[in-house]
Amino acid sequence: MSTKIELSLSRPNRIYRPSEPLEGKIVVKSASSISHYGIRIALNGSVTLQVRGGSAGVIESLYGVLKPITILNRIIEIKPSGKFVSGTTEIPFSITLRNPKEEDSERFYETFHGTDISIQYLATVEIMRGYLHKSLSATVEFIVESDKADLLNQPVSPEMVIFYITQDTQRHPILPELKSGGFRITGRISTQCPMLEPLGGELTVEASALPICSIDIHLLRVESILLGERIITETSLVQTTQIADGDIFRNMTVPIYVILPRLLTCPTVLAGPFSIEFKVAIVISFQSELSRLHPKSDPLTPRLWMAMETLPLELVRTR
Amino acid sequence: MVLVLALGDLHIPHRAADLPPKFKSMLVPGKIQHIICTGNLCIKEVQDYLKTLCPDLHITRGEYDEETRYPETKTLTIGQFKLGLCHGHQVIPWGDLDSLAMLQRQLDVDILVTGHTHQFTAYKHEGGVVINPGSATGAYSSMTYDVNPSFVLMDIDGLRVVVYVYELIDGEVKVDKIDFKKTAATTHSAH
Amino acid sequence: MEFRPRNYVAEEQSHALPRSRADIHPLSSPSPQPILRQVDDSAENRTTEEFFDPLRAPDSNPSVEVVDENDFERSSNGIDDSVQVQTKEWTSFKRLLMQRFPVSKMISVSSMSNTIVRSGKAHEKSSSSTHLEELDDSQKSSEESAKVITRQEYVSRLHELKDEINRAWHNEDRVKSLKLSIKVARLLMDTSVLNFYPTLFVLVTDVLDMLGEMVWERIRQKAEFAEDGARFCSLRAENFGASDVPADAKETCYNWFCKVGTIRELLPRIYLELAIFPCWRFLIEQPAESLQRLVTMTRGLADPLASAYCRLYIAHRAQKLLSHETGHLITCVNDIKLIFTRMSSTKETARGGFDDSKRPLVSLMEPSVEFIMKSIFNDASPRRVGRVLVDLGIWRSQEELFCGSPCVSIVLHHLLKELPTDIVCFHALDILQLINCSNDNSYDQYLNYRLVGLRLSEQMSQIATVDAIVNEVIQVVSEYGLDEYLKVVDAYLDIILQNQMDGHLKTILECILKMASDKVLAEDELASLQSILVKLLSHFKDLEHVFSLNHFLQILDMMHGSSRSIVNMHILDMATRNGYVHDPTTIQLLFEISQALHSDTDLVNMKNDDNQQQARLISRFVRMVDHGAAYERHLEFLAECRGAFGSIIELKEILVHSSNCLATKALKDGQNHTGFVKSCIGFSEVTIPSISGHIKQLNLYLETAEVALLGGLVSHSDGLIDSAINCLQSSDLVEGSRTVDSDGILSSIRKLCSLLIMVPGNPEVGILHIPKSILSIIQSRSWSPRLRARLLCAIISLSATLSQERLPYHVDQPEIMGNDLLFFGDSSYVHELLSLMESVLPNLVDIIEQESSRAARGSMSLEACNCIASSFKINEHVLPICSKLIETAKSCLNANDKYLTSTISFLDKNLHAATVPSSITI
Repeated sequence: MSTKIELSLSRPNRIYRPSEPLEGKIVVKSASSISHYGIRIALNGSVTLQVRGGSAGVIESLYGVLKPITILNRIIEIKPSGKFVSGTTEIPFSITLRNPKEEDSERFYETFHGTDISIQYLATVEIMRGYLHKSLSATVEFIVESDKADLLNQPVSPEMVIFYITQDTQRHPILPELKSGGFRITGRISTQCPMLEPLGGELTVEASALPICSIDIHLLRVESILLGERIITETSLVQTTQIADGDIFRNMTVPIYVILPRLLTCPTVLAGPFSIEFKVAIVISFQSELSRLHPKSDPLTPRLWMAMETLPLELVRTR
Repeated sequence: MVLVLALGDLHIPHRAADLPPKFKSMLVPGKIQHIICTGNLCIKEVQDYLKTLCPDLHITRGEYDEETRYPETKTLTIGQFKLGLCHGHQVIPWGDLDSLAMLQRQLDVDILVTGHTHQFTAYKHEGGVVINPGSATGAYSSMTYDVNPSFVLMDIDGLRVVVYVYELIDGEVKVDKIDFKKTAATTHSAH
Repeated sequence: MEFRPRNYVAEEQSHALPRSRADIHPLSSPSPQPILRQVDDSAENRTTEEFFDPLRAPDSNPSVEVVDENDFERSSNGIDDSVQVQTKEWTSFKRLLMQRFPVSKMISVSSMSNTIVRSGKAHEKSSSSTHLEELDDSQKSSEESAKVITRQEYVSRLHELKDEINRAWHNEDRVKSLKLSIKVARLLMDTSVLNFYPTLFVLVTDVLDMLGEMVWERIRQKAEFAEDGARFCSLRAENFGASDVPADAKETCYNWFCKVGTIRELLPRIYLELAIFPCWRFLIEQPAESLQRLVTMTRGLADPLASAYCRLYIAHRAQKLLSHETGHLITCVNDIKLIFTRMSSTKETARGGFDDSKRPLVSLMEPSVEFIMKSIFNDASPRRVGRVLVDLGIWRSQEELFCGSPCVSIVLHHLLKELPTDIVCFHALDILQLINCSNDNSYDQYLNYRLVGLRLSEQMSQIATVDAIVNEVIQVVSEYGLDEYLKVVDAYLDIILQNQMDGHLKTILECILKMASDKVLAEDELASLQSILVKLLSHFKDLEHVFSLNHFLQILDMMHGSSRSIVNMHILDMATRNGYVHDPTTIQLLFEISQALHSDTDLVNMKNDDNQQQARLISRFVRMVDHGAAYERHLEFLAECRGAFGSIIELKEILVHSSNCLATKALKDGQNHTGFVKSCIGFSEVTIPSISGHIKQLNLYLETAEVALLGGLVSHSDGLIDSAINCLQSSDLVEGSRTVDSDGILSSIRKLCSLLIMVPGNPEVGILHIPKSILSIIQSRSWSPRLRARLLCAIISLSATLSQERLPYHVDQPEIMGNDLLFFGDSSYVHELLSLMESVLPNLVDIIEQESSRAARGSMSLEACNCIASSFKINEHVLPICSKLIETAKSCLNANDKYLTSTISFLDKNLHAATVPSSITI
């Protein structure tokens, strides 16, 4: 391979906002001089939706990839036809993401890689070399975050939801000794959380008949896709964070502090054809002989020795 | 001005428990630049004590010294003067001027300091000066049990030396001085 | 040949330098400053030196106090120094931590620690699990199998992991480094082998500290250098803020925290965040605030041991921020207090204290309390100390102070250890009250009482209410058993002594006697008693006062073994430090003490350093005894010592010197003591042969002979000189395996020669009997030419002196006549001397020719020439010999040689002085 082409973006983290220009340079390394018919960059952004049989229900025929929703699709000429001398040639470029002519026609959802929904932005450079030669191309993914101007101006409400977890709040069967002996775990947790800040809160075990084995905070992702008249929803676990290991002291408050994983989360989106929402589940596992028999249980499945509380969580991008 | 303390024949503890308190209170750290000790200290504690007065300490060996590694003779140069050191029990007869002059020629020194007789003396002859500081504790000697404690402090300043003799007589410290200059005739031997 | 005549008196007079009175001299006005300092120094030596012979004491080992000193210095030092000190402290803390808890060789490893059990090294106990789970597996209860691995393997596996992490990092595989580090941190979740946990903690945190350091460096570099390597800002200054950090570096830094944040388990997540904790400085201006969060997160760790060590790591990593913030540490202490309180109040303990089974756990957690407490009080200002005490719940408020509620005693212990001395001194009574009500079993209460005593002793002058304090303590300890009693009392003894609380002292000694009688004292009790008695000894400068204290001697009698020896050594040291010991009762007591010490000492190992110390002390005691005018008694005492301490070689020499000195004292007294002097000389004469070393014996014989002469005992001195000659005869240059120093032999024989000048010649055996004996020894030995030549010179000088009409000196004893009087005008006497010389002179020249070294031959020639020229008149008999010697010297030495030129001019002068016409030029 005598000629190499690279697309290098100006920002190492590759994060751009729609109102900002996507900047970078095209780097061509060639052993000999080459002539070309033009250089252009294609920007492509789309929402890919896919419904898996397992969770979509009975309709087998629905399985498969739905038609992606295009967010952005532009081709920009960077250079007319010409010639590269041998060696390394760098061609800088700067492209405004949001097309100023079509106002508000595109909504730039933030980049997201979920189970069923994927929002992705790609930039592809192509050097046309006529029919005799294969064109040279390179692709990079860039990450889109919402424009500051589009963001909520007011700060996220600092209010937290107060929760109580007792034997009576459980919607699944629990061990008889738990049912009779009882337990009471209280706390507060924020239900609206800025993307770059940890999910905060606190939790106190006030009483528990059985010793506690572990307390975990599960971050859940709820992806919904509108399929005809139906909404197909899939809930998946993004991250588990243990906040108590073992039978902690009663009435001693432990903090809830969860750093949101990047790329696996995005601001809550409620679009027409799809939505991406989040939930937080507080799961208390009690020490029980039974638990040892189910070593590999799915952490989300309610078990006899577990108590839980699930709360909606709105993720927002703040200024 | 350089102060050189010369002393010897302490015979601690065999013939005396310690230096006379009156001497001890005079000898304080920080005043003296060199100590030359003719020997018969006799135990190492005395050497350690002298070290506290001044770390630059030169000792020759007396016949009852616990430390047998002290040399029989020693020479050192202080300012314009070359000094020689020897205990003196090896000199035949003890304290004899001619015999000491022989030793002085051998060591090629301006001032020879020796001990053993427990008697302060200071002589001048063609070859230079011979000083015996006596016994700092007044220990009995080979010839007599009647000894006054004494030591010597030399103030060396250029070509001039003032020798201060400290003697404890009837419980009082008596200080005498002897003044001498290095003559041109002996200057050559300083280098 | 003719001896050169001398007039010693006239020569001395003509050459003596004139003396004049000196009113001003260099030592005339000693400034008071240095004297004071000297006194201070010696006082200090006395109290601080463990061994009483400060001049001989071996270098004291670097102790913990050294580190403490560094603590005090910290505030004045720069940041770099403070970082260094912290690093050093942490290193030594880790080392102590690993040594403090002994671990059995084999360690059972739960399934959690699969990181360690790799490559089939472990011996599986259970076969239920054959595959080793991947480490991300979090089901810790799923497997019951325990594996056993040796401690060594565990440690080396961790070292391997550390290397692997390091390697991965430098191969740009930072994700792997992080993943492995997480695995390593997970190991700390396993607290099943209690005693191994501290070691594990040290090993794991070593790895994490390394990772933290690498991450810090990486981000710092990212912040300082652009991608193309250009430097665009400098964060080298330790005081940069988050605002100085470029966005890219911040981004990378935040990514690290995100990655660490995704760790599921709480414990490794806290540890990893702590490892990279200093990096918060790149992101936020007040990183210390995050510490508080980490401290509260640690509350989620239910295992007391794991959480205690996690707090220890917080305290350690927080130091990297170089902030004086202590809020997080105080929360740590309060949380640990809570753990202890819960531990002690669980149902299984009946009386609310700690079950003994929990003690090991408590002591495992102790280092954490210790370290955190230390960190809190580092550089604490008085105001902050007050706030800390309020925050710890010890004080109600800065105004109301002690609130009277109990504190966990182990926490209290370390608090008391670190509390500034003035606070301890000022609030001692309240502190005692606090100790009194803090009576859980987590730490022995009496040790806290003891600690307060020790702390108070640091600054006794500042104690506010001494009487009340001591009364309270005496009250408390009266309930104790002997061991605890001694330990507490020991700590307060200095205060009691300083304040002259004689009543208390009496009570204490009575109590000790009562409790200790009819009891074999245990090691600990002996150690405390030792400390107490030594304190008494060093307080009362006067030994007789100590002996007169009620029960002191009885208590000393109850002691045994090395503690007793040490007290005895202190007593002996004290007794002999301040000059002579006069009191007969004291001497008798000290003699008995010396005997006890001597019999407790392993005689076989007299070479042993400790025992040398004891031998030295006994010797010193013997030589410091002074019976005053009771000379007979003193000599008796010396004889007793010879019998009692026969195995101490150095003592024998002292005995000889002492008896000789005793004789001179008696003589000086002036009365007729001949009989007594004879006894002394007899004693010395009998003692000398048991001393090893012929030269030593020779010199002691000579001293004794001198004393005999002073006493007018000519025949005794003759006998002693004969013994000295015998010594010389039986000596050889090779004595045992080591070569005898020929310098020593030479100077001793020369001294003998000088002594002979005073000794009256004995016509019965021949007046030159002794010089001839010496000559025959010279002939019979294979000594070096150098030694022989010099000895011949000595004989020449001796003969020349003896030939004089008036000898240079005489014995200070009118009864003894010198040879000058004995043989006055006796021509045969001089003739005999000269005839001896007839053979000696040629012999001397021959011997010099035998010397093989040119330089030595040259100087020997000059020495001989000097000797001959000052002994003889230079006449036709002597001059050829001198000329020959000068020629030899000239052929061997440089013509400019000083000794050569000065000898030639000396010779010249003597030649002129001689009446012989100067026809000879040299």
